[in-house]
Amino acid sequence: MAMTGSIAHRIAGPGRRFRLGSAQAPALLLLLPAVGALAAVSVYPVGLGLWLSFRDTSLAAPDDAFLGLRNYHDLIADPTFWNAWAHTVEFTVASTVAETVLGLGMALILYEWFIGRGLVRAAMLIPWAIPTVVTSKMFGWLFDGQNGIVNHLLRVTGLIDQNVNWYGSTDTALLTIIIADVWKTTPFMALLLLAGLQTIPRSLSEAALVDGAGPWATFWRVRLPLLMPTLLIAALFRALDAFRIFDLVYVLTGGGPADSTETLSTLTYKTLFSTLQFGYGSAMAALMFATEVLIAGVFGAVLIRKLRETER
Amino acid sequence: MTKIPGRAQRSGGLFRRDLLKLSGVALGAGAAAPILGRSRPARAATEITFASAKFFGKETIAQLVDAYNASQDKVHVTYRELPPPSASTEVHQALVQQLARRNGAPDVFTQDIIWIAEFAAAGWSLPLDEHIDASEIGAYFPGLVAGCKWQGKLVALPWFVDSGMLYYRRDLLEAAGAKVPETWPELVETAKTITGAGQAKLGFLWQGKQAEVLVCDLVSFTGSNGGAILDADGKTVRIADPAAVEAVQFMHDTIATHKISPPDLLSWDEEPSRRPFTAGQAVFLRNWSYVYGISQDAGESSVVGKVGVAPLPHFPGKSSAASLGGYQYGVNASSKNQEAALDFVRWMSSPETQLRFALQLGLAPTRQAVFDHPDLAKAQPFMAQLKPVFLGATPRPVTPKYPQVSLVLQSEVSKALASGDVKGALEAAKSRIETIVGV
Amino acid sequence: MTPLSALRGRLLGLPVWVWRGVLLHAGALFIVAWSAGPFLWQLSTSLQEDKALVADTPSYLPIPATLEHFVNIFTVKQFQLYLLNSVIVAGATTLFCLVLGALAAFALARLNIRGRFGILGLILSISMFPQIAIVAPLYLLATAMDLLDTYTVLVVVYVALGLPLVIWVLFGYFHSIPREIDDAARMDGAGPLTILFRVTLPMSLPGVVTTGLLGFIAAWNEFMFALAFTSDIGTQTVPVGIANFTNLYYVPWGDIAAASVVVTVPLVLLVLTFQRHIIAGLTQGAVKE
Repeated sequence: MAMTGSIAHRIAGPGRRFRLGSAQAPALLLLLPAVGALAAVSVYPVGLGLWLSFRDTSLAAPDDAFLGLRNYHDLIADPTFWNAWAHTVEFTVASTVAETVLGLGMALILYEWFIGRGLVRAAMLIPWAIPTVVTSKMFGWLFDGQNGIVNHLLRVTGLIDQNVNWYGSTDTALLTIIIADVWKTTPFMALLLLAGLQTIPRSLSEAALVDGAGPWATFWRVRLPLLMPTLLIAALFRALDAFRIFDLVYVLTGGGPADSTETLSTLTYKTLFSTLQFGYGSAMAALMFATEVLIAGVFGAVLIRKLRETER
Repeated sequence: MTKIPGRAQRSGGLFRRDLLKLSGVALGAGAAAPILGRSRPARAATEITFASAKFFGKETIAQLVDAYNASQDKVHVTYRELPPPSASTEVHQALVQQLARRNGAPDVFTQDIIWIAEFAAAGWSLPLDEHIDASEIGAYFPGLVAGCKWQGKLVALPWFVDSGMLYYRRDLLEAAGAKVPETWPELVETAKTITGAGQAKLGFLWQGKQAEVLVCDLVSFTGSNGGAILDADGKTVRIADPAAVEAVQFMHDTIATHKISPPDLLSWDEEPSRRPFTAGQAVFLRNWSYVYGISQDAGESSVVGKVGVAPLPHFPGKSSAASLGGYQYGVNASSKNQEAALDFVRWMSSPETQLRFALQLGLAPTRQAVFDHPDLAKAQPFMAQLKPVFLGATPRPVTPKYPQVSLVLQSEVSKALASGDVKGALEAAKSRIETIVGV
Repeated sequence: MTPLSALRGRLLGLPVWVWRGVLLHAGALFIVAWSAGPFLWQLSTSLQEDKALVADTPSYLPIPATLEHFVNIFTVKQFQLYLLNSVIVAGATTLFCLVLGALAAFALARLNIRGRFGILGLILSISMFPQIAIVAPLYLLATAMDLLDTYTVLVVVYVALGLPLVIWVLFGYFHSIPREIDDAARMDGAGPLTILFRVTLPMSLPGVVTTGLLGFIAAWNEFMFALAFTSDIGTQTVPVGIANFTNLYYVPWGDIAAASVVVTVPLVLLVLTFQRHIIAGLTQGAVKE
């Protein structure tokens, strides 16, 4: 192909700045279908959402005045918003950390060979495969205060004396939702991390072992750094998804009891779909977006540095 | 797949071609279904659209719509199915999206009774007073007709009704020599006696989840104390009045003080509260009419033949108040085919169709006369005896801002129940609601 | 396998490798119990009558057993139609996601586009906007273009929702492949697309299969858009179908459990097949140095 020559010019070494010109065109062409698909679906809704957030549009009433920043001002002064924001951040941190650690553990175990490994890998995926509408109701059932299996098992094994009011108590409701989410989504992390482990050449860790490093040192010094980009990307997406958690909360507790599990998504959903205040609701969505940009920014900064380090 | 005469049945190419054809037809049909509708339209028939949440039983709404289309050839109805009422927020959203465009579609729709004021105030519902005369209206339950009115005008035509009621274990009450409680103190007394004697694990079950059902329960308790949440003028907030405070305090006490209700019900809606009752673990249950059928199903219930139903108790000296529910018909104010839409709505709300809904889909009629029909007593004896319960039902606050009011109530009452600070939570609810209804 | 001789030392009297074996198998057991436990309970539930669910002591074993729920979902609820729709939609989504995503990720990872991290950031930002906020505008668009109740609208939306993850993850895997391998291929005269299909994809096959699997399941389980955009059994997917089991209040728990079993078992079998035949073959030293 004619362009092979110009590409060959550019592979002289890492970090070398490239030239503009014919070499960019085919690259951008490869990028176009994906970006086109994304733009087609997102430009109009995102644009409309931003536009609405500056108005007081309500579907049920003829209001549609321009408000400037008033929606945002009201939102920042609204305690229910911050209540939901705090719960959402708490949920995001707890579930992402738990899922990353648990997922890493699972990935490390499944990476090694043992009898029945295929079956265990398939079993691991089950929580991710069950539809969320079923998982929500199932966990509602499992953790039911009166007749749930979890309480039954905990009492039978002597860990508790009395039934715990999992979803009906403001102390435990959010925790129970976190547990449900960890169960459901750890396979996502585990699978991505497992695939990441599999792309690390075995020769590297074997060489370290032969050199006298124990298994822990091999993991910490050799495998984990190489796994870091994959881990960070998976954790980033997991954190962003966790921030937008909706189905589990809405079905299990509806935001209660006493607003103790209200998350930004459930609050925005209620505002948009129930009260039809599209202006206010769009502002809420925009602030959600802003927080996610912050999260992504933090992850992204660390990630880009790691990627540049391992660029070879 | 039909064989093509004169052709040898070759497996590969023919099958693949037919499969492609079939999937193409399926895709095309799927894409065109909303337009084509379910039956071929007759010539020169007026086309109207009907949108409703999905209900089913022995028959579906689609079948009834087909029956209407077949019964005459002046109007042809295309039915667009919305999500089932269990996803009521989505139904609300889908309906609002369509109505807000004011382009006449759908011509006829069904709406939860709590949306009637909202849709009417937005100008989406056609006022029906000129089209339906007073004699026809008199045939429906008065409480329901009141719920179908906004600012004195009739904006919805009744479809089916449901309300909360008290389920009780006949066998346990008999064994304890207790009568069916008519006041809340009596209910507490009986529940304590029976659970104290170890005959049942739980005393009284209701729904405390932070969801719409909590407002239904709230109305039942406050109404039974002569209190209210919002006055009939839609502006005076009464949720912090003594009657309401006492009622919510009682709700809290069933769990905390009398201990006849488990704290778990703060996360329970209809089904989680129904299950322990039909498993035989509870004495009393407040729930909708659907529970009765399940309680008599041997594959589902352990208390077949042991369940009785009565109106909900009230505070001493007051009267019973059960929360009114059910979906009603509305005609689109922007409809370009008003006559056709009205004809369809009249047919759907006619005594014969209401009877059919009752027998085939289990939806209780809103015409008083249909309740007395012998077929109903035969096929749905339970439903026939519910007439007094429905007559005494109380609507939830009537205001176009109902969704916002409901969310505030859900939040504050849930806080009251969880923390015990009833007065504080209800005062907070009052000021928030006053802001919403524009006092 | 790691040479056992390389693991030296003893801990509490037992060689390290014994501890390693114990931990490994205990861990595997935990994974199975934790992941499959609730599902096995679902399986048991689907074989019992509904009333057995609320007994004082839960019965873990389905005795007496009944097949009524499985019969019910196929005869009365027509679950097979929902399954077919889900397979078509999720399958098409995964295909498009992988193709478009691999092309884009390769371009970003290998072809030195200027501002690639900016482009990646932009792609990421698409998946940061709350989905509940974009349902309504997209519904309006779909209605205007008459695309409601079609496979097309679902596939287009799901591809857009899934592409950011696919692109980023594949970018990560492609990035970790040593450039020397690409260079070697270029020396042999291969163009970028050839490198992608002959070198990069095969080497990151675990990543590609994994992403495809995750994307498939994500499209399979998506509920909100499916509920908003479809209203006819000709296009409704499994999550909507299961939600439709509920009439007004009553939740037919046995039927739902049966449906979730029917939905999960094939997916698990799919994973078993893929994992064994593709991944296993690769990891036994296939990474060429």
